Amino acid sequence: MGKEVLVVDKLNMHYETLDGPVAAVKDVSFVLNEGESFGLVGESGCGKTSVAMSLLQLQADNAKISSGSIKLEGKELVGMTENELRTVRWDGISIVFQGAMNAWNPVAKIGEQIREAIREHRPDNTKQENTQKIEELFNIVGLDNSIMDRYPHELSGGMKQRAIIALALSCDPKVVIADEPTTALDVVIQDQILKELKKVQNLLGLSLIYISHDIAVIAEMTDNMAVMYAGSVVEMGPTANIFNKPKHAYTRLLLESTPSVVGKRKKLRSLDGEPPSLINENKGCSFSPRCPEPSKECKNQELDMKLVEISKGHWADLCCVSCG
Amino acid sequence: MAEYIIRRTLQMIVVFFIFLVSSYLLFNAIPGNAFQNLLLNPDLPPDAYEKVLKTYGLDKPIMERVQLYVVNFFKGDFGYSYKYYPKTPIELIAERLPRTLMLFAIVNIVAFYTGFLVGKVLAWRRGSKSETWITVTSVFSYTVFYPWFALMMLWFFGYKMGWFPIGKFLYPEKWYDAPWDSDVIFVLMIKFTVIISVIQFMAYLLTRGIESLTQRRNIRFGSLIAIFIGSYLFWNTGDALTKKPYAADIAYHMILPVVVVTIVAFAGTALLTRTTMVEVIKEDYILTARAKGLSQKRIRDRHAARTALLPVVTSFIFTIVTIIDGSVLTETIFSWPGMGQLLLQSVLEEDIPVAMATFSFVGIFALIAHLVADISYSYLDPRIRIKSQG
Repeated sequence: MGKEVLVVDKLNMHYETLDGPVAAVKDVSFVLNEGESFGLVGESGCGKTSVAMSLLQLQADNAKISSGSIKLEGKELVGMTENELRTVRWDGISIVFQGAMNAWNPVAKIGEQIREAIREHRPDNTKQENTQKIEELFNIVGLDNSIMDRYPHELSGGMKQRAIIALALSCDPKVVIADEPTTALDVVIQDQILKELKKVQNLLGLSLIYISHDIAVIAEMTDNMAVMYAGSVVEMGPTANIFNKPKHAYTRLLLESTPSVVGKRKKLRSLDGEPPSLINENKGCSFSPRCPEPSKECKNQELDMKLVEISKGHWADLCCVSCG
Repeated sequence: MAEYIIRRTLQMIVVFFIFLVSSYLLFNAIPGNAFQNLLLNPDLPPDAYEKVLKTYGLDKPIMERVQLYVVNFFKGDFGYSYKYYPKTPIELIAERLPRTLMLFAIVNIVAFYTGFLVGKVLAWRRGSKSETWITVTSVFSYTVFYPWFALMMLWFFGYKMGWFPIGKFLYPEKWYDAPWDSDVIFVLMIKFTVIISVIQFMAYLLTRGIESLTQRRNIRFGSLIAIFIGSYLFWNTGDALTKKPYAADIAYHMILPVVVVTIVAFAGTALLTRTTMVEVIKEDYILTARAKGLSQKRIRDRHAARTALLPVVTSFIFTIVTIIDGSVLTETIFSWPGMGQLLLQSVLEEDIPVAMATFSFVGIFALIAHLVADISYSYLDPRIRIKSQG
């Protein structure tokens, strides 16, 4: 493993709403090594995208990072001014958004929109250099050079997503966040895009954060992963470990809710209840109301949520360790 | 594209024909005619009235007159003014048009530009205190009863403070020994304005290809300075130098009407821009632009405002159409002898050839403006493409 590129430590982020603060990200910590891909998985509304937005500090106006630190190659990002952040965005951390359909400005050419990003961070480049760079990128993601002079509406969904990947790579960022990059696409194109991402990652040695609600995709794409529930990380470790020996009840249920192509046929399990409201400060384990087999201490909410290391690099929530 | 324009032009001719016939019939539906006051004059022989009617062809039945008028119109013969015989309507329009164009071209450009600028800043600062105040002010100037507002401004700045002249477009005493007609000066001023705008626009277009943003900005700024120096030299050499005091006199008279009409006209654009842009700002590509690390100004101008431009430009083109007929009020209040006053006078005096010529002018102008609007869509929004078929 390479050196640590991105270190997130005890990150807390909440949204100010009329009903009170909504704690969307609670004490999230993880480390991303160089050339590694890290997966974030969880159901809708569990805070995956909030984590991604906090990394770039592109949160909505009512969102506040209350504590914690985000270090990119040792540089602290929390508390940076807008102008300092601008130099980090795209150059340090870039993002592949979900829904490529709407991520392109409809009235500007694809090439111009990529060029604009490069121009912002490499102001001394000549026009030829930038054109060359874009051609290179298009070559990597498998797009024709003529796409440069096309408008977004002239491309198919898959092409737009490929172009978005090219856009994300345009400034050679240290970290790329892929926020559900395949959600809006059909399965065949999804597969192509995933392969493309994987190829790009190996080719360029990217450090990738992959966000998805689809645990199967995470299994295919990542080296390490974290499972999020209600704003907190409940289990984190090498992807293979988590898939083979899931510790947390939620992870287990998540795995059992996806059909497996190999092995015995099993009935898929679903989870009763709804994710908890994040407005009230929950004491104890936030998953215990839905947990199929909570321990007595957990049910009485006596245990605080805390990750403990159960084997090397594999962390899980304290109370579920005590349950299982 | 060419086929589209041709097809539209043919449609326009049909529409214009209907427009011409119906407005001619409407004008003739007004009771009486331009010469009826001759009957009140006891010194004239009784058959004089009939003779005059015969001279102007007013004794013929209405259908025959319509036919004659339309045929002559397409031949390029607009008849003679009843009131200012032997002047033709074209001569009258040629005299008045530069005055109106000069005034309202400037008003429209200034109003559109400030309106768009204010609108996008409002949308960008949504929720702040300054936004609230400027929006309230804009709504005020958008809804204010315009003649009252214009008269109040005239009273305050023209009469009370005495900063600006009250009405008229020049001081007649300055022009007694002027070697030129005021129209010569107007035409010169219009030419000057057009040339400046074209140069500025070309400078903008030519610098678009430059990759470095700072270099691009510097060159644009340089061209602006060059234009200033150029116009200084222009007005201080040769022919223009002798015309300068007269041009200055007209310009001085223009300030108040321009300011007043701009205050009223900019608010519509500003509010429309604000509304459209508030929607655009929520779009995902604005987030992309922010993630790219672009500056706030660039996101606002290049991404948000650029996409919000379409409805704003549409409304702008349609307000251009109302330059001539909308100028009736302004020109009456500021005693500005332009097209609006000509239109009003000729209708009141039933000077049908002049009224018809002015109206046709407005009609042609409106038809062309709509065509221009449709064509400009495809440049503003690449998603709209004009199909040759269908």
